[in-house]
Amino acid sequence: MASDRTLPASRIRAAQPSHRLASLAPFLAILVFLALLPLWGNDYRALIGTRAAIYWILVAGLNLIVGFAGQLAIGYVALFAIGAYTASILAAGNLMTEISPALALLAAAAVGAGFGLVVGLPALRLRTFYFAMTTLGFATIVTQIALGWQSVTGGGIGLSGPSLPAPFDSAWGLYGLCVGLAVVATIMSANIAHSRFGRALIATRDAEVAAEANGISKPAVLVCVFLFAGAAAGLAGGLFATLQTYITPDAFTFDLSLLFFISVLIGGRGSILGPLLGTILLTLLPEIAAPLAAWSTFVYAGLLLVIVLAMPGGIAALLDRSNRQPLAANRAIVPNIASLGRLLGTARSAQNLTLSDVVLSFGGLRAIDGLTLSVRPGEVHGLIGPNGSGKTTTLNVISGYYRPQQGRIVLGDTDLPPGQPVGRAALGICRTFQTPRIIGAASVLENVMVGGTLSGRASFVEALLSLPRSHRDEAAIRQTARLALEVVGLGALEDVRADHLQHSELRFLEIARGLMLCPRLLLLDEPAAGLSATEILRLGTLIRAISRAGVAVLLVEHHADLIFEICDQITVLNLGRVLAHGTPAEIRVHKEVVSAYLGG
Amino acid sequence: MLLTRRSLALAAAATSAISLARPAHAANEPLRIGWLASLTGASSAPAIGFNRGLIFATDSINAAGGVKGRKIEIITRDTQGDPTKAVNATQELISQLKVDAIWGPTNSGESLATTSIMARSKMPNLHPCVVDSLIDVKKYPNAFRIAPSNSQWDDAVRGYALKILKARKIAVIGDTTGYGVTAAKASAEAFKKDGAEVVYLANIDATQPDMTPDMLRARDAGAEVIVIWSVSTGMIARLLNTRGTMAWNVPCVGHPSLSSGEIASLVSNKSYWDNVYAVGYKSCSYDSAGKLPTRTEEFVKRLTGKVDLSDTLLWWVAAGFDAINLVAKAVETTGSSSNDAIIGYWNSLNRYPGNFGNYSFSVEQHNGYPTDEVVMSAANSAKLGAFTLAPGYS
Amino acid sequence: MLSSILASGLAIGAIYALIGITYNTMFATSRVMSFTAGQLGMLGGVLGSMFILRLGFPLVAGLAATLLCCAAVGVATEFIAVRPVLKSLEQHLYVLSTLAFALLIQQVTAIEWSTEPQPFPRLFGIGSGIWDEKYWLPVVTCAATIGALEYLYRRTLIGRAFRAVAEDNFAARALGLPERNLRVASYALAAVVGGLAGFSGGELMLAFFANGSQLNFYGFIPVALGGLGNNRGALIGGLALGLFQQAANFMVGGIFASVAVFVLFIIVLLAAPQGLFGSTVARRV
Repeated sequence: MASDRTLPASRIRAAQPSHRLASLAPFLAILVFLALLPLWGNDYRALIGTRAAIYWILVAGLNLIVGFAGQLAIGYVALFAIGAYTASILAAGNLMTEISPALALLAAAAVGAGFGLVVGLPALRLRTFYFAMTTLGFATIVTQIALGWQSVTGGGIGLSGPSLPAPFDSAWGLYGLCVGLAVVATIMSANIAHSRFGRALIATRDAEVAAEANGISKPAVLVCVFLFAGAAAGLAGGLFATLQTYITPDAFTFDLSLLFFISVLIGGRGSILGPLLGTILLTLLPEIAAPLAAWSTFVYAGLLLVIVLAMPGGIAALLDRSNRQPLAANRAIVPNIASLGRLLGTARSAQNLTLSDVVLSFGGLRAIDGLTLSVRPGEVHGLIGPNGSGKTTTLNVISGYYRPQQGRIVLGDTDLPPGQPVGRAALGICRTFQTPRIIGAASVLENVMVGGTLSGRASFVEALLSLPRSHRDEAAIRQTARLALEVVGLGALEDVRADHLQHSELRFLEIARGLMLCPRLLLLDEPAAGLSATEILRLGTLIRAISRAGVAVLLVEHHADLIFEICDQITVLNLGRVLAHGTPAEIRVHKEVVSAYLGG
Repeated sequence: MLLTRRSLALAAAATSAISLARPAHAANEPLRIGWLASLTGASSAPAIGFNRGLIFATDSINAAGGVKGRKIEIITRDTQGDPTKAVNATQELISQLKVDAIWGPTNSGESLATTSIMARSKMPNLHPCVVDSLIDVKKYPNAFRIAPSNSQWDDAVRGYALKILKARKIAVIGDTTGYGVTAAKASAEAFKKDGAEVVYLANIDATQPDMTPDMLRARDAGAEVIVIWSVSTGMIARLLNTRGTMAWNVPCVGHPSLSSGEIASLVSNKSYWDNVYAVGYKSCSYDSAGKLPTRTEEFVKRLTGKVDLSDTLLWWVAAGFDAINLVAKAVETTGSSSNDAIIGYWNSLNRYPGNFGNYSFSVEQHNGYPTDEVVMSAANSAKLGAFTLAPGYS
Repeated sequence: MLSSILASGLAIGAIYALIGITYNTMFATSRVMSFTAGQLGMLGGVLGSMFILRLGFPLVAGLAATLLCCAAVGVATEFIAVRPVLKSLEQHLYVLSTLAFALLIQQVTAIEWSTEPQPFPRLFGIGSGIWDEKYWLPVVTCAATIGALEYLYRRTLIGRAFRAVAEDNFAARALGLPERNLRVASYALAAVVGGLAGFSGGELMLAFFANGSQLNFYGFIPVALGGLGNNRGALIGGLALGLFQQAANFMVGGIFASVAVFVLFIIVLLAAPQGLFGSTVARRV
């Protein structure tokens, strides 16, 4: 399948390797600096360096939750404490026979992963502020339990942290270990960030509805990330216990939780370098600004406020200059229909979509009132009607956002389960939205790659470790996405941030994203709205070509010219019922339609 | 490229800030004493008191020419009661600022974390923290306590409740902080060991608005004395107010915070603070005639006009003063400020006459405060940071 | 014993309910949950103590000054932490900006006021035992506040305008209502309610800087239980929480009471994310 879809070699960017090197350079610079630190440092610098490394191990995981998935987990010190206590308790043998410190650290990571899931689960059901509050509550009860369970945790007196064997028992030995683990954490989180899972996280953050339509199950990706971030936090906690040599509940303050959380935000959402610099900055800040100790929380809070109000992009946005140049104003969208065959191939068997007697009412209002409709592969089926006649509602029923009270929706011979938008993409149903739902902060290419999430085969763990299958996935998705952009005519803009595009370009972008699925059925919701006359013409040609490649297209549109130009069948809705149905020629002369709708 | 240069610049800025290279010691170098103070934050009152004694001692010694010509330099780090900040500051004092001795931290949560770090580099350390496990001559041969341990406090409280108040049925109440939970539990166990009956043991959330149910339970269980382990003045005041409204004149005995000046304004009736006895020290207590012990009397005279005692406790000031003098004496006597010299000198002390107490240390014993100095005092009797002995002491 | 648990449970529950109403009032006109709700309660106590005890104001002047200052803080919240992030409501930046603002308030109070609980004046000196004013004052204040709010919302023009904005922001603006000014006014109103909670509960909770984060969490639970924007739900939720918490304090002790409250909170939330009296989610597509 992949070989089918390769681009001509000339089109693959030659700049790729140097581009990657440039983005790696700051990480390498930090690493070189950390490697050289022992040459001219004392134990104090080792301690601060170790602390920064440990905090970063936690923040690397938290970054995926806060920065990528946009879940406001402000109480992550809870998992840090759980890791610290787990490692210390197991190494001391308070609960069972003592185990080696190395095993205790691993156990801390495992327990952290488990509780990471527990802390995170409410996010699947609760809204942001609610979730923030539950993590906060969790942070308080962890310390309460540590206090109360005195026989194991030592209560208020606490207990010793695990002491690692040589060579990690010295200040610089521990430093080396923690920096090494921090590097691993960085690589792992970067692997996830740059895989389909990372894009899926950002999609659930910025365009949740579109994510669902592309088959991204928010619970599934979030669960993986909560496990990973929990493990990182647990491990960091265990290392923290070793570094502190002794832990008591009062070490796990809300300030520490804020430090983790704000590190991510200072750094910038969706970045890895930014939060890394943020963590280093916030770890060093209290050491540099010792006289400000009393005001430290105040400084944190002030920083947070300034970031939110003045630079929501954080450090990452400051560092990122590539997106500051204005785009050419006279650019045009020129679809390349010739490549469509290579993109769609013959991957899926064509199937009819049939709606029979669908009824959906909101309260007393019947938005769809006994709708029967059939869309055939290879045809463009127009759905028109006045505002409120149930066009978009019909699309929402087909794509699973609304659950009809009556009626069946069948694709081929399978009944589409009502009210389950996530499963639609896997069946080959894709759609665009009336207001384009895109990830503004991601590049055009990445936005299109979101559409290829389902085609990936590598598991989360494979992506985490960057195993060969994950590489193959990425390469294939990237290539297909380039091809899709080529097809819709946005090939030149692939590196541009999506929120820099014009409205009309976003409409084509959504189509490209949909084509990533090799769809059986393409649902288009007013794709011509806001387009210029030339663009509408090109859009029409593109839609027609897509349908001719064997895709069933259901087109909701107000633009009568476009409808009559490209549709093979037209259904006219009024008040949720079919007013008329037929070919464009038939509809054009249909009396009721003409008087009620076409106004002529 | 810009990215690289920026991050390098950032890294360079960061390191230059933490690399203040220090030259090696010389004979006329100042004698550096690190001071891990929780000067701000929730439990800052003791550190503020200690700080006054510390500064007074340093100024007096420096004004008199210093220690063998070396001025004393105090390097203070505000740890805000946060163990993490305390660990950082400790390591900074040791490795970067190369201090000769460290005084503090002043609360146990921090001390638990810093003690083994100081032990690693054998840093001479004096502290006033109460948790028993902080003193261990094998693990921490460098750490010396110049205040009572928790069990010494506990002994004094228990002794007063059992021997002087002649109570047999005891209620023990702690707050829900680490200290409150641990201290209440240890106290209850010690009472049981001494044959008393602990009729009520509870840890109460310090923010609980009403203590009536707890006090009713204690009364219904027949408690003859209430032992309180908490540093929360709000909670203590609520307990006393509840006791007052219940018109239950049961004695309350316990933590020094029972005598905290804050309570005066928090009790709804001044008389509710009667019949409350807090841990105190003979050296800093007025006898029934209203006189302080002679040595303390002279110390207070020296402080008059220079150190404000009205809003702090005399023992904090005295202990801070003693700490500096213990370091100074060690350097003066041995002529060296090496770790071994200072520790060796402290290990040789036998009833060293400090203002807070007579300290005795040996290689086997680093709990230097004499148990018989720990007494109970009337909680509401504060006058210039000292208290009147509780009734029953000779 | 039961009576004293009831008295303190209802009293503290009424304070929680008032903080819940503070959340609701701010939410109604701005769709923002603000972390400053609890801090306003804290300020009610601290400012009340400052004006009456430290500066010697008489009761009425002290109350007026306290509420005025709270209202100013409320308006400042709107200007600094809410208005700038309203454009991008779906990014939930308000969670961060209001958290930051709340922390600023709390830290300044800790440093400039005290980190130890300070006394709050006895306001009337009426009652003793379980009929002490410190127990019934918050309950009466809560009842009066809810009554006044109901009157405001149903009988007055400005109240109806509030409701119009709360129900449909765009429509209200289209009707020519000064949506922005109404929002500022609602923040001032919310702050006054929060300040009243702290003032009436001052004798119970004392003038203590840490009350803010406490009230923030426990005042949010009634909102979560009662459903966002539902003041009656907040009242029922608040009283239930107060009683449950005091009973738990008594039954399982101080350490595990907070665990019990939290576990109950999580279970209810997961079972009914919209709250027990809440309405269903808005349309997403």
